[in-house]
Amino acid sequence: MSDTKVHLEKIDDFRWRIPKGYKPGMKVEGIIYADEKILKDVHEDKALEQVANVAFLPGIVKYSLAMPDIHWGYGFPIGGVAATDIEAGGVVSPGGVGFDINCGVRLVKTDLRYEEIKDKIKELVYALFSDVPTGVGSKGDIRVSAKEEKEILIKGSKWAVEKGYGTLEDLECTEENGAISGADPAAVSERAYERGKAQSGTLGSGNHFLEVQVIDQLYDRDICDELGLDMGQIMLMIHSGSRGFGYQICDDYVRQMMPCLQKYNIHVPDRQLVSAPVNSPEAKEYLGAMRCAANYAWNNRQCLMHLARNVFERIFGMGWQKMGMHLIYDVAHNIAKIEKYVVDGREKSLCVHRKGATRAFPPGHPALPQKYKKIGQPVIIPGDMGRNSYLLVGTEKAAETFYSTCHGAGRVKSRTAATKTIRLDVLLKELESKGIIVKATGRGTIVEEAPQAYKDVNDVVDVVHNAGISKRVCRMRPLGVIKG
Amino acid sequence: MSRSKVRLLHGPPFENQKLLGAILTDKSYELIEHTADVGIRVKGKDLRGLFNNAALAMFDIIGEPAPIPSATSVKEIPKFKVNIRQKAENLEELFVNWLNELLSLSSAKGLMFVDFVINKLDRNKLEAQVYGEKIKNYRVNTEIKAATYHELKVQEVSGGWQAEVIFDV
Repeated sequence: MSDTKVHLEKIDDFRWRIPKGYKPGMKVEGIIYADEKILKDVHEDKALEQVANVAFLPGIVKYSLAMPDIHWGYGFPIGGVAATDIEAGGVVSPGGVGFDINCGVRLVKTDLRYEEIKDKIKELVYALFSDVPTGVGSKGDIRVSAKEEKEILIKGSKWAVEKGYGTLEDLECTEENGAISGADPAAVSERAYERGKAQSGTLGSGNHFLEVQVIDQLYDRDICDELGLDMGQIMLMIHSGSRGFGYQICDDYVRQMMPCLQKYNIHVPDRQLVSAPVNSPEAKEYLGAMRCAANYAWNNRQCLMHLARNVFERIFGMGWQKMGMHLIYDVAHNIAKIEKYVVDGREKSLCVHRKGATRAFPPGHPALPQKYKKIGQPVIIPGDMGRNSYLLVGTEKAAETFYSTCHGAGRVKSRTAATKTIRLDVLLKELESKGIIVKATGRGTIVEEAPQAYKDVNDVVDVVHNAGISKRVCRMRPLGVIKG
Repeated sequence: MSRSKVRLLHGPPFENQKLLGAILTDKSYELIEHTADVGIRVKGKDLRGLFNNAALAMFDIIGEPAPIPSATSVKEIPKFKVNIRQKAENLEELFVNWLNELLSLSSAKGLMFVDFVINKLDRNKLEAQVYGEKIKNYRVNTEIKAATYHELKVQEVSGGWQAEVIFDV
């Protein structure tokens, strides 16, 4: 499965180039953010070939990018970023967003300290597992009528807040305030509604999780002070997406856009990169539906946080406000967004695809809430269940990556290889010895998601920090994990 | 395929190494290594056999029957029939559409499909009746979000047809 034939040119210690001439048809070069250590893994699969394939997209601007958590996906590599110039016929590709539209993460702080609650962590994790619906096709306790389903697609997290499942402050601390404009429920198929029904407030399966963590390292004291974060503080991280609703929208539009390849004379080496010019009726329809799924996902994570806050209230016997359970931020890592950038001295509207990559706006960016104007956008990087997770902030230097950074650790071992080589009982003992409790619905999930199947997130974050495309704020380690 | 045959493909719980071995020796399909997702290589004596085996392989990855309470016989487990019609520009698209339609119906209707009667099949069109059991009677191991076009192959080989497909999991 290795991809050793892709020869990379070194730009500097953290950036590597796939020359435009590598494959006839590439419109721009590829740039991979990685150091020597990470590069060894990158050559092990077909991810670099996929970076080159993305460079075929009509209207792609500057380069096809990959973040250091890059690995083999379908169509785009995971960790891939591509911006297309709308005015110049730039395209949007549903495969550049993926099936789990607006898969993303949210980070919630608490004022609880590890030393105070360490004896209650097991009880807390078991209660979270019992109250937060997990697993394939799981259905939630949050009841949504057919009329409300459509409301969610427009209102996003605001729907949950109006129901009493959160506050206005939560919306302020969510990308797009939890509801991107331009969502078009008429572009959503009946099947997508049927598939997404009753899945609001459910975690899902695979690499999705809800994790109780403790801050174990501070990197930027000033920003930590600004956010009210300190060593030993308990945090809550939620990783989930748009569930069956989003999968169906991607499936519908990959299918519908197939004829666009011929219609718009688009030549891509992989049909999963099927696309249409952003200004075409086909693309407008897709973006309208994709935004519905994005809003569905933000509302889903808002509902999940509400369920988790309720569990904390029950276990610790006080209101969530009293425990300081405020949302730090919620950010998508599978999405296409229309953003403005200065390219060659001219301001342009670009369609930025982030497929397993996180938006990372710098201090002062107009899209940020007032409270983050000074420090920049919080960027949340989940690691695997045995190592660490990070809070970073965006930087001005990330203009070179269309304000994008990594999204996680990135897999190195396939699920089948993990299943073959890792024993569940040994793994659970190992995690327990590190003080990590894991509860999962699917019996295969824990092994498939074992730390050995992932790159070390510390190495990945070192690259984005040292390359300057985001800045380390603090690090967490897991205490309890619930998974699907 | 009967319920008991589906079960033959699996080892006992938590002996995944054996489980993989069983799949490979059974020859109904092979797993293709992929870093993030799961791929399969599957064969059929003819096109119908290929479409049938690919569907069986996909649901075999998704889950396995949960133990049946001793008082219940296999015959008592109700099956639900769903009609499927698909059209596509070419055979590869038809193959992906077939698998994605099954995944979509499975998730929307809460069914695990176990039996596939393909009535009509050519390079552009498929008509089938598929039979599913309630998913609550199954132990679900892996969520498959969709079948993808990435590295997709559907080709005639000596002795029949072969396909390779990567699933987003």
